[in-house]
Amino acid sequence: MADNWGFVLAAYALAAIVLAGYWRHLVRRERELNAPVAGQPPGAPGAPPRQR
Amino acid sequence: MTRVLGWLAALALLAGLGMAFAVAPREATQGTVQRIMYVHVPSVWVAYCAFVVVFVASIAYLATRAEAADRLAHASAEVGVLFTGLTIATGSIWGKPTWGTWWTWDARLTSVAVLFVMYVGYLLLRGMIDEGERAARYAAVLGVVAALNIPLVHFSVLWWRTLHQPPSLMKPGPSSMPPVIVRALLVNFAAFALLYLYFVAKRVRLLRLEAEAGA
Repeated sequence: MADNWGFVLAAYALAAIVLAGYWRHLVRRERELNAPVAGQPPGAPGAPPRQR
Repeated sequence: MTRVLGWLAALALLAGLGMAFAVAPREATQGTVQRIMYVHVPSVWVAYCAFVVVFVASIAYLATRAEAADRLAHASAEVGVLFTGLTIATGSIWGKPTWGTWWTWDARLTSVAVLFVMYVGYLLLRGMIDEGERAARYAAVLGVVAALNIPLVHFSVLWWRTLHQPPSLMKPGPSSMPPVIVRALLVNFAAFALLYLYFVAKRVRLLRLEAEAGA
């Protein structure tokens, strides 16, 4: 059977893109939640909690 | 701790790539395309584990109403859906050169597709109900029911005559694969399992932050 390197690379590239994309989504969301709201000191009522 | 897990997962993934491309031999029948197995099979094993965690955490939530159990179930379901999607996509890419088709309504493929849809439904259900406690309760019931599909997926290749090959490792009796291929598979499974733990730890933390921000 032919080696079909294109299929192998496609599968690994897809896995890398999906996993890295999800990781990036988590990191970005964490940054958003940890960013202080303008005009409110971190930890103030209604302000998002700081990273522990 | 989460950061250490992340680095461990990254190193293990590199080791897994090394095992898949440098250590494991070219398979005699399928050729190089068989190397897709080192991402396809660990993905589905991790997805099984993720949904078993959803099952256990859902039972724990129904018994104790502990928010931590609900957050674990939610995070594990999300990461499980990610790995199930990856399983389906890589399986499809593997199927084209070996079976001559991207997709067929074979028992294994269909049961995995049903599993995927059930847990996407689980996540949609959570998103549709605004009231947190009710969403958690309904999701927990679905998390218990949906887990019944896991043995169906695994044994589908034994119970029905299908195009998908029967399991080579998770079956009674010795493995039909050479030890070097088994080792490469297990290293990749360990890497994916570490990545699962890292993602779930991070997602659980995010869910807690979101709950605190919304309170």
